[in-house]
Amino acid sequence: MNANEAEAAFEAVRNTLAWAGLSMLIVMIPGCLLAYHLARSDFFGKRVISALVSLPLVMPPTAAGYLLLRLFADNGPLGRKTLGVDLGILLDWKGVVLACSLMSMPLVVRTARLSFEGVNPRFEAMSRTLGRGRMRTFCTVTLPLAGRGLLAALILGFTRAVGEFGASVVLAGNIPGRTQTLASAIYSAQQAGRQFQADILLCVALFLGFVAIYASERLSLALGNGGRRG
Amino acid sequence: MPRSGFRWRLGTEGVVVEHVNSMGLCIDLRLPLDRFCMELRHETRRRVTGIFGISGSGKTTLLELIAGLRGGATGRIAFGGELWMDSEAGVFLPPEKRNIGYVPQEHLLFPHLSVKGNLEFARKRALERGLDFAWVFANVTEVLELGPLLERRAGELSGGEKQRVALGRALCSGPSLLLLDEPTASLDSALRLRILPFLCKVRDRFDLPMLVVSHNPMELQALCEEVVAINSGRIVASGVPVEVFSQDTMLSGMQSYGLQNIVPCVVERHGAHSSYLRAGKSGDGPCLCAPFCGHRVGESVLIAISASEILVSLSAQHGLSARNCIPARLLRMRNVGHMMSLLVAIHHSLPPLAVELNPDAADELALREGSDINLIVKSSSLHVC
Repeated sequence: MNANEAEAAFEAVRNTLAWAGLSMLIVMIPGCLLAYHLARSDFFGKRVISALVSLPLVMPPTAAGYLLLRLFADNGPLGRKTLGVDLGILLDWKGVVLACSLMSMPLVVRTARLSFEGVNPRFEAMSRTLGRGRMRTFCTVTLPLAGRGLLAALILGFTRAVGEFGASVVLAGNIPGRTQTLASAIYSAQQAGRQFQADILLCVALFLGFVAIYASERLSLALGNGGRRG
Repeated sequence: MPRSGFRWRLGTEGVVVEHVNSMGLCIDLRLPLDRFCMELRHETRRRVTGIFGISGSGKTTLLELIAGLRGGATGRIAFGGELWMDSEAGVFLPPEKRNIGYVPQEHLLFPHLSVKGNLEFARKRALERGLDFAWVFANVTEVLELGPLLERRAGELSGGEKQRVALGRALCSGPSLLLLDEPTASLDSALRLRILPFLCKVRDRFDLPMLVVSHNPMELQALCEEVVAINSGRIVASGVPVEVFSQDTMLSGMQSYGLQNIVPCVVERHGAHSSYLRAGKSGDGPCLCAPFCGHRVGESVLIAISASEILVSLSAQHGLSARNCIPARLLRMRNVGHMMSLLVAIHHSLPPLAVELNPDAADELALREGSDINLIVKSSSLHVC
């Protein structure tokens, strides 16, 4: 492996971590709010929204990527010609972040919803009788009690974003140094017969995956007796 | 809208709630529930009111309606001249605006906070209400003996400790009304007797309006000035505890407990095997002999005497092993099935006691309302708590 190959591999890993982190920044807050509403309130169309959010989990990732491509293509509903502005999604790192966000959303929402459902709503009622309004109660009672589960949601979402391949390749391509991720770099290295580079990337992927799963298992163990204990 | 009718003030004896205007709690509610329709209308100006009923009679629902944790009812709730709910006018004050201290049956201590964190949870509200929080905190910690628990986590506490912390948390928030939901129901009977004195201390030290929900008549007799009995969502009796509980309609709901008399006493002295107590809050009533107890001389205690463990005699007896012979006047006699329920007065400062008698015995003794009698009680029938 020459210096260029190492540089490219390093860049792919660094970019992947940055893009996955950025997509978590985008997904976590709306994802948690949506999860809280799905866990606590009954509203019209709740099941439909719940199903729509989970859809990327069961769709082939390339199909999801193609859907995004159609949306953001020049003639698509969010494309350059329709909006009059170029959002610069196609073949760009922003496309990767968008694809990562969409594909990790279901894991984040589902895990966060479970952890909110694990918080006894009577604790929230108790907080309100003690003079704290809805928002303060959410921030000072619900969030801390659901905290471990939300952290697990973050970890699962982040690793899903790190592993994202199908949707981002369709939407943003596999351009080294520009839109190449850990997953697409492994694919390229293997296709081009750069075995050593692929092996290094594989080790990085194994390491990241193991750390994430181990951490989330530990957290979900603790989640079981997190909020219910009175 | 006028401010709440109670204002906290620091007194020499403890925190005192001044009745700015003496408007008590007014409820007029209708709420359809699964098995019946709750329909309650009551106004109380008493400081400590008990809500009595068997489980499933709608007590906890009523408390949640008053706390603002449950909607869907029609009617109105007002407290201290402040309107909390009025379905016609579309008023619904959220729970955080009602200034209540709610102590739920399952305690609900915040598991992510220490005991101290739980007690300080409503610090902001207490400060907003003009309270010296440090002072209230110190007072509550002392009265409920929470000092050694402060650094512990909620999950590490025993049932009785949780109950005290939950009570302390409510008190620290500077409430103008304290709502207690079955304060001893989750505890076993030995612990129940240990928690009751704490509740009495809270009642006496914090001059605060209280609403106590319970299915245990003994508890309500010990705590309340007035009891409202509800069944299937309707009020079936209300008044002074012992009178409510000696009504025949009440007795069916209390079979498992039997009727207990609760008498406040002051420890006068200890003998080798017995403790001698003076009945009455200030200890000016008749002397009672109880099994030896560990309380200090001068300490206030409660004793429980089951109505069925009291004998009635026309003359002061000699030659009996029973240690107590208390002169009394018979106030009222009622037949309840195959049992006769008597109400007797033993002292002007004490509420009347309930006594259960076989009707044949009452006939034989020719008991009449107003006759002077003696109550014979074994010392072992006096349970000191």
